[in-house]
Amino acid sequence: MPSVLFYIFAAVMLGFGLLVVVLRNPVSNALALAVSFLGLAALFVSLNAFFIGIIQILVYAGAVMVLFLFIVMLLDIKAEQRRKLNMPAVAGGVLLVVAFSIQLISVLANFEPGKRRINEVPLDLPAAAAARVASGAPAASINATLNAGSLPDVNLVGETLFTKYNFHLQVIGVLLLVATVGVIVISRREDKNAPAAES
Amino acid sequence: MPVYSLEVAVVLLGLVLLMMEAFVAGKDKRFVAHTALLGLGAVLVGSFFVDRTPDASGFWSFYKADGLAMTYKAIALACTMLVIVLGLDYIPVLEKFTARVGGHGAWGEFFCLPVFICAGMMWMASASDLTSIFVSLELVTIAFYVMVTFMRRNVGSLEAGVKYLILGALSTGFLVYGFTWLFGVTGQTNLDVIAAKLNSGTVATVPAMFSFALILVALAFKIGAVPLQFWIPDVYQGAPTPITAYLSVGSKAAGFIVTTRILQVFLGSEALVHNCTAILLAVACATLLVGNLAAIPQTNFKRLLAYSSISHAGFLVLALAAGPAGAFGLAPGQIVAYYLAAYLIMTLLAFAVLVVINRTSGSDDLNAFNGLHQRSPFLAFALLVAVASLAGVPLTVGFVGKLLVFAAAVKASLWLPLGFAIIGAVAGFYYYLKVLRNMYWNAPAGGTLPAITLSGLTKATLLLLIAATVVLGVWWAPLFQLVRR
Repeated sequence: MPSVLFYIFAAVMLGFGLLVVVLRNPVSNALALAVSFLGLAALFVSLNAFFIGIIQILVYAGAVMVLFLFIVMLLDIKAEQRRKLNMPAVAGGVLLVVAFSIQLISVLANFEPGKRRINEVPLDLPAAAAARVASGAPAASINATLNAGSLPDVNLVGETLFTKYNFHLQVIGVLLLVATVGVIVISRREDKNAPAAES
Repeated sequence: MPVYSLEVAVVLLGLVLLMMEAFVAGKDKRFVAHTALLGLGAVLVGSFFVDRTPDASGFWSFYKADGLAMTYKAIALACTMLVIVLGLDYIPVLEKFTARVGGHGAWGEFFCLPVFICAGMMWMASASDLTSIFVSLELVTIAFYVMVTFMRRNVGSLEAGVKYLILGALSTGFLVYGFTWLFGVTGQTNLDVIAAKLNSGTVATVPAMFSFALILVALAFKIGAVPLQFWIPDVYQGAPTPITAYLSVGSKAAGFIVTTRILQVFLGSEALVHNCTAILLAVACATLLVGNLAAIPQTNFKRLLAYSSISHAGFLVLALAAGPAGAFGLAPGQIVAYYLAAYLIMTLLAFAVLVVINRTSGSDDLNAFNGLHQRSPFLAFALLVAVASLAGVPLTVGFVGKLLVFAAAVKASLWLPLGFAIIGAVAGFYYYLKVLRNMYWNAPAGGTLPAITLSGLTKATLLLLIAATVVLGVWWAPLFQLVRR
């Protein structure tokens, strides 16, 4: 990706991210966040992470943001009143930003592979396929796609998830079941004529 | 039978219970609890007869079945069973505060979800990889969010649930951030490989210490130690009492097995052990001080037990910080397991009495215990045994646990932390035994109250726990055998 596009999308992401904090109307906040996610997705695509880019749009910009908007509109949240700046909160925020920046800079300064540009290290797909065959990876169709010179990233994610991390997937399955049951327990509709509970 | 079939069996049991709860006719759902008890009991027995040898599959890099894991699995199963027994006693309160469906309180799931939590805690006991630690820990935490909020018509329960949710999410953030740093410096997720890498001297120490601090903060939330201990009194007070007991014992034990495993990684590294021990000792001393001194002025028995839970976490962290020597031939991890097994018995005994008091008087206040001796000498005696053991009176199981911790601290020559532990133990005598005055000497406020009748199951459970507290306090061998498997 040309660096011009990188700067455009990075500016979109950061600018709309800033608007999320600055705007006072909750609906505008949610929409600004969605646009910010779109910029982030474009950056993922520029790193050859096509699958994550698409998922970013489908799940975050699509599903999660629609959910946010639903809640904002259902609860009929009004635009926030302009408040006085809460100095301790601002100071804490600045402190956190500084702390994160220091961490980021120190990591980037120490991480040697990060100093090379992505154009300088092209993906060697046939070599990856050969390594897979050597390690006895089962899915032959993935190897074929790699040898043909295209990156089957969805297939690779799926393969890793359902073979190496199968155990985790099962545990997450139980977690989702528990969460579903829990939502029903906490939000179950009551009989209309139920007596009021004392608290 | 391979060892991982235990968790599979528990999850299947949970699914069967959910189905039974939904589709079996009848308004009285007590049979769900009874089925859960039978099933968990069968798994507990089965856990002593499983095949623990790992095979070549990749699964075993995420999962460990050493003796410590099996001990904690047994603790999780026993704790869940006792919590379900407590829940059966608590049904009248649940009936009042859960959603009304068809003219009845909807509390069937109260006996299904703990089974899934139990599976999560058993996975935590075996987790030996950052990824498997995270998913099993989240299963337990998220299920607890629901359980704490279960009595949704009670403001206290809702408030406790919101507090637990927000702080739990915060601590998860710390945990994942710490894991990221650990992965960043080592490039590995398996704990054994990380330990080898940290010990090889090629890893930068500053980022490693940074990840240690972040992970320790997150684990402090799970085990109830300083600096994330302040949620404990409020959440314990608001949650349904059996769930308070579950948080206090099950969740803490599961947090401690993960803490033990992660600390082994950091304390095994020569470059890091010095700083990590210093931080741990500071956490232990602060926890002992906060837990014990804040417990003294409490007038609510549930809050008192909450601060007591913090103070026990202090003793346990001290045992872990005391170094690899341990005491009486037990490694630090085994001392913690022993202490937690003892803690399970005495804490659940105290909560079992509290559930009955709460049901009959509607209050957790110390004043609700006034005249308990006249109303039910058996209950009063049960609580006497429980608080004596919590305080660490000799000839109770709690004494043995504290003795092991003190011995480990002496062996490691940690005199200052030992001083804090002694202050804590002495303060414990005061605030635990305070309830005795209410039970035996204070007259009840509204004249004489009716005698309390107990169900057969409750009576049997109380008797079992009293016997375990006293017998295991004199005859130490069985618990030693359990933790040294």
